[in-house]
Amino acid sequence: AEICITSMDNYPLYIRSIPTQGELKFHYTVHTSLDVVEEKISGVGKALADQRELYLGLLYPTEDYKVYGYVTNSKVKFVIVVDSSNTSLRDNEIRSMFRKLHNSFTDVMCNPFYNPGDPIQSKAFDSIVSTMMVQAC
Amino acid sequence: MAQCVQSVQEFIQDSFVPMVAVLCSEDAERVTRKNSLSFPELLRPFCRLTSEGHLRDPNNQVVVVKGLRISVTGINTRPPQTPEMHRLLSQAVSVCQPPEGSPANVITAGDYDLNISATTPWFETYRENFLQSMPASEHEFLNHYLACMLVVSSCEAVPTEQFLKLSQEQHRIQHSGEYTHPKWFIPNTLKYYVLLHDISEGDEQRADSVYEDMKQRYGTQGCYLLKINSRSGSTGADEQMPDPWSQYLHKTSIHNPELYEESAVSNAVENNIGAEEDGLDPSIRDDNETHPLQLDQPTDAGYPSNNASQSVNNVDMTRPQKQASVTSHTTPTPRGTCLTLNDHDHIRQFIQEFTFRGLLPHIEKNIRQLNDQLVSRKGLSRSLFSATKKLFGGGKVPEKSIAELKNTAGLLYPSEAPELQIRKMADLCFLVQHYELAYNCYHTAKKDFLSDQAMLYAAGALEMAAVAAFLQSGAPRPYPAHYMDTAIQTYRDVCKNMLLAERCCLLSAEILKSQTKYSDAATLLIKMTSEDSDLRSALLLEQAAHCFINMRGPMVRKFAFHMILAGHRFSKAGQKRHALRCYCQALQVYKGKGWALAEDHINFTIGRQSFTLRQPDNAVAAFRHILINDSKQSAVQQTAFLREYLYVYKVRNTHSTSCIMEALTLFSTGEKQAATHVSLDQEFDRDLSPLWRELEERVVAVVNRGAVPITFQPSQCCLNSQTDNLRYPLAVVEEPIIVEVVFRNPLKIPLALSALCLLWKFTPKDFSDPQGNTAGETITNEKTMALNDIIDTQVIPEFTISPEETKVARLKLLPHKTGELHVLGVVYNLGTGEVDNSEGDLMCVRGQQNLEIQGPRLNMTKEEKTSVTYGPDHRLDPIITPLMPLLEVFFINFPTGLLCGEIRKAWVEFVNVSAVPLTGLRVASTHPEFFTFGSAASDLTPVTPTAAEHCSAYKTVAMPPSVEIVSLVSPAAFGVTSGDRPVVAEIPLSQGVLGPGEALQIPLWLRGPDREGVHEINFLFYYESTEKTAKLSHRVLRHTAFICASRSLSVRATASRSNTLHSRERETEERQEGEEKNGSMLVFVDVENINTSEAGVREFHIVQVSSSSRQWRLHKCINPVGDKENRRAILASRERGKLCFKATRCRTEEGGASSSQKYTFADLNLGNEQIVSSTTPCADFFFRRGLPSEPRRGGVSTGGASQIWRQSGTDDGVTNIVKKCSEVEKLYTVGTESIQTPLNFSLFVIFKKNVLLNLQQSNTLDSVKIHFSELIHHRLPSHTLVVYLCSPESLEVHGSFSWLGQTQYKLQLQAQEVYRLSLKACFFQAGVYNLGTPRVFAKLAQTSAMCETSQQSAMPALIIINSV
Repeated sequence: AEICITSMDNYPLYIRSIPTQGELKFHYTVHTSLDVVEEKISGVGKALADQRELYLGLLYPTEDYKVYGYVTNSKVKFVIVVDSSNTSLRDNEIRSMFRKLHNSFTDVMCNPFYNPGDPIQSKAFDSIVSTMMVQAC
Repeated sequence: MAQCVQSVQEFIQDSFVPMVAVLCSEDAERVTRKNSLSFPELLRPFCRLTSEGHLRDPNNQVVVVKGLRISVTGINTRPPQTPEMHRLLSQAVSVCQPPEGSPANVITAGDYDLNISATTPWFETYRENFLQSMPASEHEFLNHYLACMLVVSSCEAVPTEQFLKLSQEQHRIQHSGEYTHPKWFIPNTLKYYVLLHDISEGDEQRADSVYEDMKQRYGTQGCYLLKINSRSGSTGADEQMPDPWSQYLHKTSIHNPELYEESAVSNAVENNIGAEEDGLDPSIRDDNETHPLQLDQPTDAGYPSNNASQSVNNVDMTRPQKQASVTSHTTPTPRGTCLTLNDHDHIRQFIQEFTFRGLLPHIEKNIRQLNDQLVSRKGLSRSLFSATKKLFGGGKVPEKSIAELKNTAGLLYPSEAPELQIRKMADLCFLVQHYELAYNCYHTAKKDFLSDQAMLYAAGALEMAAVAAFLQSGAPRPYPAHYMDTAIQTYRDVCKNMLLAERCCLLSAEILKSQTKYSDAATLLIKMTSEDSDLRSALLLEQAAHCFINMRGPMVRKFAFHMILAGHRFSKAGQKRHALRCYCQALQVYKGKGWALAEDHINFTIGRQSFTLRQPDNAVAAFRHILINDSKQSAVQQTAFLREYLYVYKVRNTHSTSCIMEALTLFSTGEKQAATHVSLDQEFDRDLSPLWRELEERVVAVVNRGAVPITFQPSQCCLNSQTDNLRYPLAVVEEPIIVEVVFRNPLKIPLALSALCLLWKFTPKDFSDPQGNTAGETITNEKTMALNDIIDTQVIPEFTISPEETKVARLKLLPHKTGELHVLGVVYNLGTGEVDNSEGDLMCVRGQQNLEIQGPRLNMTKEEKTSVTYGPDHRLDPIITPLMPLLEVFFINFPTGLLCGEIRKAWVEFVNVSAVPLTGLRVASTHPEFFTFGSAASDLTPVTPTAAEHCSAYKTVAMPPSVEIVSLVSPAAFGVTSGDRPVVAEIPLSQGVLGPGEALQIPLWLRGPDREGVHEINFLFYYESTEKTAKLSHRVLRHTAFICASRSLSVRATASRSNTLHSRERETEERQEGEEKNGSMLVFVDVENINTSEAGVREFHIVQVSSSSRQWRLHKCINPVGDKENRRAILASRERGKLCFKATRCRTEEGGASSSQKYTFADLNLGNEQIVSSTTPCADFFFRRGLPSEPRRGGVSTGGASQIWRQSGTDDGVTNIVKKCSEVEKLYTVGTESIQTPLNFSLFVIFKKNVLLNLQQSNTLDSVKIHFSELIHHRLPSHTLVVYLCSPESLEVHGSFSWLGQTQYKLQLQAQEVYRLSLKACFFQAGVYNLGTPRVFAKLAQTSAMCETSQQSAMPALIIINSV
């Protein structure tokens, strides 16, 4: 499973994946999924921009993975990739995971020493992601 | 999907064309061979019809056939077997590379600007080849032979017989059942008889007659006389003929044989590299493993298995091909040499004739026929047929069993089955572009097939129905994409026929693309990728990627990802170039976006691919990219990358003929240049620099008699980014130039640089030449290193940089000639940190780094402020000037710690290390009072420092104590003329010159600074060459000494007028006082040892007090004289002592007029040795401190003292201080050992004077025992004063004496009255006491007591109590 956060310009802010040996593949997957995210954002239309649901749902399933997306109002994208075989994670779980992620991301952004756009190196954030990963795998 | 040259309609039409077989007699074959072409090949360029054809459909409506193309092939031609086909396709693709300067198609999507080739000709080639090589299938008739041309040469003995033979042969092939291949459309195939006539050799009349005969036999529509070979091949060689065959025939193998070779080679190389790759790079390997693709597996499933029929025919079939390929290889372009343009026209006419007269009517006839059959069956038999089928469910049992045997996927109809008839008719209609009818038929057939569960047939019908629906002009119905999807799925999953599925997919994708349904097309293409063919997968993935980028909202990242997948498959398929191209295009998306891992992977692959394709430049660039960016890879990975890089680099350099050194921008650099004697470690200090500059300016001003020349520039020995680098620095020949280069290793692995040295460019110039500088030829050491006779270049053999370390390398150049030097860069061998013992030679490459320094940003003018401009920086462009003297200065016995005021003798040695003499040696210092070289007057023989080490710094004379020694010294003797502090001191040289190699040793006295703490003392030695050169007028040498001063004695001196009045003194011993009024003064010196055992000092021993003044001199020590005196002068820590002296005025007659300029030095020694203070070093330091300014001096120590007294009387009190140099020799003990070492020590005696109010009062010093008389002398006119004399006890705490008896008196004094009062005091201890403590208050008698004014005098009255 992998969790990735990218900035609004699609620079990666945070990528974490376990197991680490397939990291490259995960990176490619996440990067590619950004296209779908953008498509979904633009598809929503401007009228509903205010009440837009941040959770984008399943972006696309591949043979081995399911890719979920989430976009904050500032166009920061969260992507979670989980194993297809993992049936314990339903839409609701994923949704709450994203919400948790968003909260801790907000905490990171509130740090006055964090420079927006820099890779996230917060320990607190790391630990939250770690617990989520354990839960997801 | 990329743009294609053909439109979709053209493409589909060309994919399905009527097939015509050719059966040739041997003679006919020979005729065409003259042109090195077989008959079908001969016709091929002319197979597209330029004019429209017409035919009538069953409803008698005219169908216009536009741009029809027919396909003419030899009857024996059969599609290549699977492996063969794969080879051909792969070859076709590898040959077709994007043109070099392909039109750049820039697509902007979001913040991406992508440069993508718009067309993919290799894909089109692949598709064309693929479709052409499709084997004829059972379930469709599109590529079955519709007609057969029988070709016979006119020169044959009996052509008609030959025709007959061929006709029978054709019949046998079609109907005997021996051959499953070729397949025929309709049982009664159209036979077209062609008589081939060779004009150049055959008899034309005979040919005509045979043709006439043929016409009668086969009808005019069924035969043709084709005349070719109008000229013999050899003659027309010079004539330029168009070669229409070139683009059709053996495009793949002939076009570019060397390219093909290369691809074969690269395939082999790839395998090796692939193995290596696996060993080296775990991540890549992982990728390979996780990617489920394997190498090609031949797909036999579904392919017509006619391999079994090994007959003569098979041999026949291969023969022409072989011949063709052989000829084409041996002769580059000899095709059609015997054909003129007329012949070309003949052939074109022939094809047209054949199509319009023969083929189209034949098709028309067959369509009618089939239509009739179908119509007749529709009414009756069709329904009956289906009824019987329903009744006897197993009506087709035998057929089905056959089908099950052969193909589990569905039925196999016999060739004459009615269901097939309708399909046949549909195909015919399709071929003649009657798409509406075709669609209807396909649709009907589809229903039939589906109801029969004949899946293969159904899929075929679905596919064609969809295509026909699309091609219908006017588009009455939308394109049924789901037909295609079903067809593909059926082909693939049910029938396991990948070829058909692929064809279907290609068609569908193309159609979808034309309808801008890129997303669907992409999905289709991606679905079609599979394990069995890497090439196909690669091509399809690439097309899918193009689909993504062409979408309305371009999906850039998907494009990139699929490009990478395509690249991966290409590389597995051995298509190195295509793989490289794919990766490069994908890199555009990933580059610089922070996706480091992906970027590294792509770069690494690009590096690998480029390397195997022998594009080492690109490989090096790609590998370098991995290394120079802040790599996130692990150390192991980085090591692998670096090794790979070095390997590639090495190979590249050995390959390229000219060994160009390449700049490796692995490191960031900073520069610093330094000359000799300068510590490079010392950072540039912004505060220090103006200080040095000021010092130098002062020296230069002194040298130039007060004025600083305009051209003056401060010497700068060490240049860095903060110094002024606008000028070219000056360096002296034969003196080293050191460049400091900062290397940073950004990697996590150590790097070993070896043979590190500077790269320079040098233009020799002779500056001594008076008529301009004659410039020599510019030399550089870029190519050859053996130029050490001009400039000695230091080479650092080993320079290892640890991971992520920043290290400084100091590189030295030693110029041997004058001229202009430019330091260009550094060169080094770069290797990995590890030594490969197995290989022997270390993996390393030669690298070069150019040093380019940017000056500071300019920010002065408006333009500079608005734009970003940088000033020049000439740090690395020194000018080598002729020889200059070079001074080295050594300090001997130079202390690091001194007590405050301590005088120490040291030695300084000046050495001229250059080959030319130096002169004008001067020294300037920020603390001129710190040191002295001794006066010229003091004739000290220079003893060697070692001998002088234990001597005192002073000149001493044995002398009993308490004898006053007076000497008169002029300040001019010590080089002091004005009141200024002498900053610059000249150092005397013998004959004013220090010759080459000579050394001068002179003593130096140092005096500890007055304030404790660490003092930084800057010396600036100035010297010049004996001969003036324009470039460098002088040189300087800087030295900074640090002295730690620790506390010693605190000396406070107060001076007060002696109260011995001229007529009233009693019991005094002053004899000289008689001449002058106020001629004596008391000097109290309070000495306190404030040293708290710092610097190993335990106690101080005061040995001598000296005075120096113009008018005053110390006369006598008033302290009790005796044995105990010595003890008194010893001061332990925090002890305080008081010394009292009597000072007298100098006798004016002694000096006369000149004495006012001279200073009187008076020494009062307390021990047995007199230290002559009027000589070096005491007098030096006294004068070096600067002469006291005039009013101050006058205020205290001159005869005008009384004057000042009166003037300042209006003030409350003026404190005047005179500093005077006196000296103390002190004793100190180290530890428990009582080694006594005399240390030289000087202290300042301070005279302090308080000024009285208008009433003067004098105290008389009573030196005789206990009696003390207080004199009140008042000069006020006749008024009565009341005087209180108060005992001081209540007011002041006195050490150890007290007043006795009455302590307060009230007196009334008349005017001019003198009253004498006796006071008694009691002393408990021996010592010196101040009795001047009584306080006197006075008032006028008439006034009230309130206005008593204090008449307190601070005039001390000392008394010395000796112990009994």
